Amino acid sequence: MTDASPERDAAADGGHEVAHDDHGHDFPGTGSIKRWFVTTNHKDVGILYIVTSLFFLVLGGVLAWLMRIQLFAPRGLGEGILAPVAYNQAVSAHGLLMVFWFLSPFAFGFANYVVPLQLGAKDLAFPRLNALSYWLYLFSGILFGVSFFQGGTFSGGWTMYAPLNVPTFTPDVGASTAVLALVLFVASVTVSSVNFLTTMHRMRAEGLTLRNLPLFSWTILLTAWMMLFAFAALLAALLVLSSDRLLGTTYFAMESPAGALLWTHLFWFFGHPEVYIVFFPALGVMAEVFQTFTGRRIVGRKWFILAMVLVAIQSFAVWMHHMFLTSINLQVKTLFMITTIGISLPFDLMVFALIYTMLKGKIRFTTPFLFVFGALLLFIIGGITGVFLGAVVLDYEFRGTYWVVAHFHYVMVGGVTALVGGLYYWFPKMTGRMYDEFLGKLHFAVYFVGFNLLYFPLFVAWETPRRVFDYAPELAPWHQLATVGGFVLGLSFLIMFYNLFKSAFVGDPAPDNPWEYATTAEWAVSSPPPLENFDGTPTYRNGHLEFLDTGEVAPTEGRSDGPTGAAVSDGGVTASATTAVTADAELPTAEVTEVEGPSHASIWPFVLSAGAFLVLLGLSPLQDAAFPEGMVGAAYATTTVAGGVVTLGSLVAMGLEPFHGPVFEEGEAWPFAGIDNGKVGMWIFLASDVVLFGGFLGAYVFTRVAFGWTGWEPIPSDPIPGLVNTYILLTSSFTVVLALVAAEKKHKWGLVTSLGATFVLGIGFLVNKGLEWQHLFHEGLWLSTNVRASTFFLTTGLHAAHVIAGLVIALYLTARAWRGAYLEDSRSVEYFGLYWHFVDIVWLFLFPLFYIL
Amino acid sequence: MVTELVLTAAFPLQSGLVPRGTRAFVFESIFEVFLLLGTLVGVVVVGYMLYNAYKYRSGSGNGHIDDGDRLVLGELPSGSGGGRKLFTSFFMSMVIVVSLVSWTYLTLLYVEEGPADDESLDVDVEGYQFGWRFTYPNGHTTDGVLRVPADRPVQLTITTADVFHNFGVTELRVKSDAIPGQETETWFTADEPGTYTAQCYELCGAGHSYMSAEVIVMPPDEYEAWYANTTADSETADSATANESSLRPAVVP
Repeated sequence: MTDASPERDAAADGGHEVAHDDHGHDFPGTGSIKRWFVTTNHKDVGILYIVTSLFFLVLGGVLAWLMRIQLFAPRGLGEGILAPVAYNQAVSAHGLLMVFWFLSPFAFGFANYVVPLQLGAKDLAFPRLNALSYWLYLFSGILFGVSFFQGGTFSGGWTMYAPLNVPTFTPDVGASTAVLALVLFVASVTVSSVNFLTTMHRMRAEGLTLRNLPLFSWTILLTAWMMLFAFAALLAALLVLSSDRLLGTTYFAMESPAGALLWTHLFWFFGHPEVYIVFFPALGVMAEVFQTFTGRRIVGRKWFILAMVLVAIQSFAVWMHHMFLTSINLQVKTLFMITTIGISLPFDLMVFALIYTMLKGKIRFTTPFLFVFGALLLFIIGGITGVFLGAVVLDYEFRGTYWVVAHFHYVMVGGVTALVGGLYYWFPKMTGRMYDEFLGKLHFAVYFVGFNLLYFPLFVAWETPRRVFDYAPELAPWHQLATVGGFVLGLSFLIMFYNLFKSAFVGDPAPDNPWEYATTAEWAVSSPPPLENFDGTPTYRNGHLEFLDTGEVAPTEGRSDGPTGAAVSDGGVTASATTAVTADAELPTAEVTEVEGPSHASIWPFVLSAGAFLVLLGLSPLQDAAFPEGMVGAAYATTTVAGGVVTLGSLVAMGLEPFHGPVFEEGEAWPFAGIDNGKVGMWIFLASDVVLFGGFLGAYVFTRVAFGWTGWEPIPSDPIPGLVNTYILLTSSFTVVLALVAAEKKHKWGLVTSLGATFVLGIGFLVNKGLEWQHLFHEGLWLSTNVRASTFFLTTGLHAAHVIAGLVIALYLTARAWRGAYLEDSRSVEYFGLYWHFVDIVWLFLFPLFYIL
Repeated sequence: MVTELVLTAAFPLQSGLVPRGTRAFVFESIFEVFLLLGTLVGVVVVGYMLYNAYKYRSGSGNGHIDDGDRLVLGELPSGSGGGRKLFTSFFMSMVIVVSLVSWTYLTLLYVEEGPADDESLDVDVEGYQFGWRFTYPNGHTTDGVLRVPADRPVQLTITTADVFHNFGVTELRVKSDAIPGQETETWFTADEPGTYTAQCYELCGAGHSYMSAEVIVMPPDEYEAWYANTTADSETADSATANESSLRPAVVP
């Protein structure tokens, strides 16, 4: 990379014209196909998210139809349109697709589009990572689609209970592929969470303190925090599961001392926050739309926010209410009953706040308001029926029945209802055209009838066991009503698709603000907004939104260690190519140059995601760490290698690509004022990595306790190699510090030598570890030997994968330093150092746990 | 009278306030109250919501948002007043929810305590893909049929031979997870002789829909007669639904 980039055109002209960046690549207009592959603009990415998620809605919806057809009557063996395994696949894929590939991405489409506008930012902090999130999401969905054609997809339910989730019981390759698709999806979510959190904490306009954030942005902020931690826990569960399926470890095997229970803990620790992760954005839409169409500010705004913050925190302490019938004891049940009731109360407050907002208002029943109003109504029913489940004695009987199914569909599809309202609400902003109001209202009417016809009878037929299609005949009428409702609800979306598709092209042109009384900043710019959102710098310094010319911007006082208005380098993502856990490590590598306009195009997020897709597809048929015999196995192995090359190549290309994040004048940045974006991003990422390792260590401790703590003989009986490695890693932390000092002193060879030494020490660590493992293998110990071996190899293996990822980065940094980089700006070295210290600290926990205790 | 009230408050478990009896009775009593109150609260809240949505519809002239403090594009977000009303409603809902759930907690204590050891019949339940095995105190094992006496508590100890299942008899309101490597306990008392169906309530594989067993509740003397004739062997009373071999996975552990 040469740091001397020519000046580029600032492409602030609506995005419809062709802009040029410094590489001479065109940034094509929205009519061009190419634009959508290279774009890193948050509004484009938002639209991509929305369109893609609607596609998955249709897919998940068709699966639901298949289930509802099967459920039209109680079916004996061989009756109905689905064979038993096919039914289980439909149930599982429907749940997974709707929860993961539709609901959250649909909401994050809006988040992508609207949040930077509400913040007064020109884009997200790391635009390329944002594009990467999208492409990882799309490719994870494609991978899930592929799983249907590999002997059948996963059939163990969206909760994936152990040990049904291991190949002993679900041997299809497609089942492994579905799990790997989820891993890729989690990578997307992690990258996205880091990006949103950095952006939302660091890039708010002057005067826009967190307290002043619009409610939709508030819900996204809290959602992103919950996602960061909850999905890291899910990643731990999924990596262990992938390892059980592909490498042959035995965490969740039937014989494992507490494998089934371990899965329920890991899954629900993620699973309950996930409920709020999908619901919060809907709540944000409700709050915004209620205020706009009643013409009143929300009642008790700060209590509303406080309630949400409490829920977000407490959501990590209620997971065992999904496990009331497992072997947990009465004390634990009592505790979780209390936290569960506790977490329901803030929602009461939010519901009342929304209702009271209507009072004395001037309510306009437009399509967005109808949907959001309907959503609140549905949520009230979902909430009341949820209180039933909070009473443990009732939960005992509702467990595994359609009461649960009906309840969570009222809540979650209630959330969808609000998000559909959001789609109508922001459609004019996104397309610059109005939708047809009559068709919108018609959609609502059909949707609302269909919804209640589908889900309400399920309360009446609650004695039906979940995921069963042979039910008591007297319940059949209710199931028939539900099936009819399912078709009404599904078909209502045809009205929406027709309306929105047509209106996007021939609808009436939308003004900047088509909704009287809307207050948030996205309505203060044109529809659609210009490529870089604002002409001039948005500020709230006088208590309301104003746009300042560049000259008027007050210098920030000692807030930033970089020059005001400096282009912020975008973080390239560097991932462990070996494990293909693409969110493993991130390292901003591009250099900050002169003050320049931001970039908007990069093809590498797309290529990188395609590479990761190929790697995981290639790995899917592994069993006991071996590819199947013959041509098929060879083809899969080739795919893995090809994917690995593409992944690694695009990582390097992305690191070398001159790419400049959005220019921003620092405004409100609590609590990260004075720390640059890259560093904040790295810290946030490491926080999620802490949870990932926490999940692994928790799994180890849990398994060991179930096994009998003292009866558990540590697998490496000889602690000496581990001890040696501890010293090696500690030394390498020291050399990283030296590297940073050398870079800051502009001492080129000191930097190269220190980085090189770090690299060599890391290699030493791996060689020593390799010898140790070789020795253990010779002793006849393998990952699948027993659960002690499984936990040792997998946990230290995950750490080794982090070391390898670090070494890839170290090698890259060394090569660049050799050519003179980092002397002007040592931040990349600093970020790498953070990562490396973290990896060392993890080892300081692993060593005593696995070698000594 | 007063003493009685005080006693009721102090020892609610001893009074009629907390439902005690069979699992079905306990469940129905609580469910009824919840349904009643849930419907009431739902109707009031939704009714209030609809009423106000109608009352303050645009053009009704009832709203007065333009009196001075109109919403303006670009303003910093703030809230409307009405906090007192908000907290009153919140407080009321909290009282309802907390008192309801606390009340059921006392029943939970009763349910968790289970029947006394000397009066109950202990049966071990083992789930497998795709059926249920029952083992009686004398070692007698049946497959697919559980025979129990009426009016006598039955204590179940539940586990599984393979994957995670959940044993439940919905009419008798008894249910518990069947977890590999773990044992869970639950109990029930059936007061009506008759035939009931036990089903699996956790997705467990291809045969999940058909993983059921018969629960035959017999008059106590008939049961005793039957039980006296059993020995420590197994009887495969294959009910029509158990053991669909075609539903087994290709690989069996």
